[in-house]
Amino acid sequence: MSFINGKKSPRQTILIADDSEMNRSILTDMLGDEYEIMEAENGVEAVSILQKYGNAISLLLLDIVMPEMDGFGVLNVMNKHRWIEDIPVIVISAETASTHVERAYELGVTEFISRPFDALILHRRVVNTILLYAKQKKLIDLVTDQIYEKEQQSGLMVDILSHIVEFRNGESGQHVLHIRTLTELLLKHLGHIDSKYQFPRSEISLICTASALHDIGKIAIPGEVLNKPGRLTDEEFEIMKKHTLIGAEMLKALPMHQEEPLVKKAYEICRWHHERYDGRGYPDGLKGEEIPVSAQVVALADVYDALTSERVYKKAFTHDVAIQMILEGKCGQFNPMLMECLREIESVLQEELQGDSDVRTSMRQMQNVAEELLHHEELSASERTLQLLEHERMKYRFYADMSEEIQFEYTVAPSMVTLSAYGARKLGLDEILMDPHNNEKVQEMMGTGTLRAISNELRGTTPEHPQVKYDHEVCINGEKRWMRTIGRAMWSADEPPRYMGAIGKTTDIHDERTRIDALVQMASHDSMTGLFNHNYAKERIRERLQNRPNGKFALAIFDLDHFKSANDNYGHMFGDKVLIHMAERLRRSIRGGDIAARVGGDEFLIFLEYKEEAETAIQRIFTSLEGTFEDFQISVSMGVVRTDMVGIDYDELFHAADQALYAVKRSGRGKYRFYDDSMYGMLSVISPIDGSEEKPADQTGERGML
Amino acid sequence: MTLKECYTALEGDYEEVITRLRSEKMVQKFVLKFLNDKSHELLVTSMETKNYEEAFRAAHTIKGVCQNLSFTRLYESSHILTENLRTGYGDETDGLVQRVEKDYQQTIAAIKELQAENPS
Repeated sequence: MSFINGKKSPRQTILIADDSEMNRSILTDMLGDEYEIMEAENGVEAVSILQKYGNAISLLLLDIVMPEMDGFGVLNVMNKHRWIEDIPVIVISAETASTHVERAYELGVTEFISRPFDALILHRRVVNTILLYAKQKKLIDLVTDQIYEKEQQSGLMVDILSHIVEFRNGESGQHVLHIRTLTELLLKHLGHIDSKYQFPRSEISLICTASALHDIGKIAIPGEVLNKPGRLTDEEFEIMKKHTLIGAEMLKALPMHQEEPLVKKAYEICRWHHERYDGRGYPDGLKGEEIPVSAQVVALADVYDALTSERVYKKAFTHDVAIQMILEGKCGQFNPMLMECLREIESVLQEELQGDSDVRTSMRQMQNVAEELLHHEELSASERTLQLLEHERMKYRFYADMSEEIQFEYTVAPSMVTLSAYGARKLGLDEILMDPHNNEKVQEMMGTGTLRAISNELRGTTPEHPQVKYDHEVCINGEKRWMRTIGRAMWSADEPPRYMGAIGKTTDIHDERTRIDALVQMASHDSMTGLFNHNYAKERIRERLQNRPNGKFALAIFDLDHFKSANDNYGHMFGDKVLIHMAERLRRSIRGGDIAARVGGDEFLIFLEYKEEAETAIQRIFTSLEGTFEDFQISVSMGVVRTDMVGIDYDELFHAADQALYAVKRSGRGKYRFYDDSMYGMLSVISPIDGSEEKPADQTGERGML
Repeated sequence: MTLKECYTALEGDYEEVITRLRSEKMVQKFVLKFLNDKSHELLVTSMETKNYEEAFRAAHTIKGVCQNLSFTRLYESSHILTENLRTGYGDETDGLVQRVEKDYQQTIAAIKELQAENPS
């Protein structure tokens, strides 16, 4: 989007957020000729337009009192997402209380205009605000350009200086360029060999720029020494050697810029680019790692280029010969690591140097500019931060999308849920939901209690332990599925901490849970009748008895009279049907808290809690179990025991009920009886004590258990 | 009936609105548009359903529009109602609603007359 010169650039867009259509159209009338207008009739709409169009909105005209979300709500969201930094806001409101005005300004609005407004003034303010923001943006661009220019100029100065030196040296104009290229290649590869030598790009760039100044001290060396063809005398050589110290001193003597990293690097290089690793170089005779890496690298580059170039005192050696000479130590000892580095990049060296055209140089300069820009964060901090934020947001959205999880963020003020794109798609909801607790769609989906329950759990956490896990059902497209929500409450840093909202994700655990449910079902239920199996019922009953040892409980065991004859006369298939039918009757005749189970064969168990008389309940159940199934006359015998008779030990209870049942069988079936002491020591129906001869004739044993 | 006469009938400030909005044509357009404004309807229904928060917003909107159009009389009564409703329903609310209703009808009547003579 271009901000400059209103007329030629594409028209800027103003978003008007006001719940009154009249007010919107008055504003549209006044501004529509010059600007594109978008309208929002409440705060939520405004937020979603801002989210969608971002910086393409040049100005927001905002009303305060609006339904769904008021103007302050919009400002809060804009602050939260830092949109307020880029999109100016003018509040137009009939609210004139100074607290309102203050609050609006605190939230970052540019102007507060009260109704009734003057058309001309409003128009002027709109234009000014947009221009002001455009200018600010332009200013940022301008400063950025200036940094770029400054970098280019300093590069230019370095080039001019080093060329003067080269000219005096009678070197080709390529020397400085070659040194720079070589230095860069060596430094970059050195980082691959040993992480000790891994420098940030900015540092490499700096050393390369500084490398151009390595021979600057030669300006002060007399021409006849400098350009003497043939060997130098010892005396002359001593003079020649001085160019290192002279260069260093020139830099040291600079009245300003002493702290500039570039100057510091250049100093190192000027002074020490003739030192050697074994301490036999000059001027200071530094040894090994005493020599800064920058100087070591430039030294090697200098030697290589000197060998492969023609000079007044020598012819050019070929690349291979030069490498050979260096590796053999003919030009002094270098860091072994550096030698290894040279060997490894040897093959690309030549190529790189030949291709060392202006294009490459300017590319390198561009990189320098980029690096430099990064150093001047304060100038473009918000821009860069925004870019980084945008980058992070993109990343987050991508991962959120990939993960197939419903991710969410909840804020208390304004009460708002932001869903990940995937989450919104999956649930068929908007990405931004205002006031989720009262959102009908959300309620329908989650059920009224769930959201409140999750919210309460989150509010119940502490900043030290902010995480909660909650399993619940969610209704998606009419289908209820089990979900697991893992949330993290966000607490403020205040004392005491305030609950600010939460972030979290919701995953579909339906299939997993269904599997587990099925396993639990299998382990706890009788597969034919669907009633509990005996083991599971026993566990539940024990639990109940233990929790309420003084409760009034009764346990009844019954079986079907003449069931064997049903099996014999109609076949086992029919027998199974009878059992299933009985289970259904049983289920219908008991109340919610009662426990019914199939003990085995045609025996069933009922455990119930009674209020006044156990007999009333037993009578009722007993009656409802009798009847016919197809042609089969259903009659049951039932033994009952109460906890006030034998205590709350399950085995005792079961045994007593069993004996009562036996007593019924003995006295002619088709009845129920409560246990009494006269039955003590009687035989058992279910677990005969000694042999099966006492077992009533119609027992079917274990058939039909599964 | 001219726009100026209409303003006299609805007890508004014609001079003021023309100074602010600058164009008689534009003012007339929005005055006529006031007939279609839904906030009065919203005020009536939200009072009926005892949704006083909504009623507050409706009154607030009427007030804002009247301010824009310099409908002084209706502005004043809707302003008082707005302030009354800001703190929720009170003893005086119903009376204030009636007053707004009376002023609203007066305003509408005047605008309708203007409309009759200026069919769009």
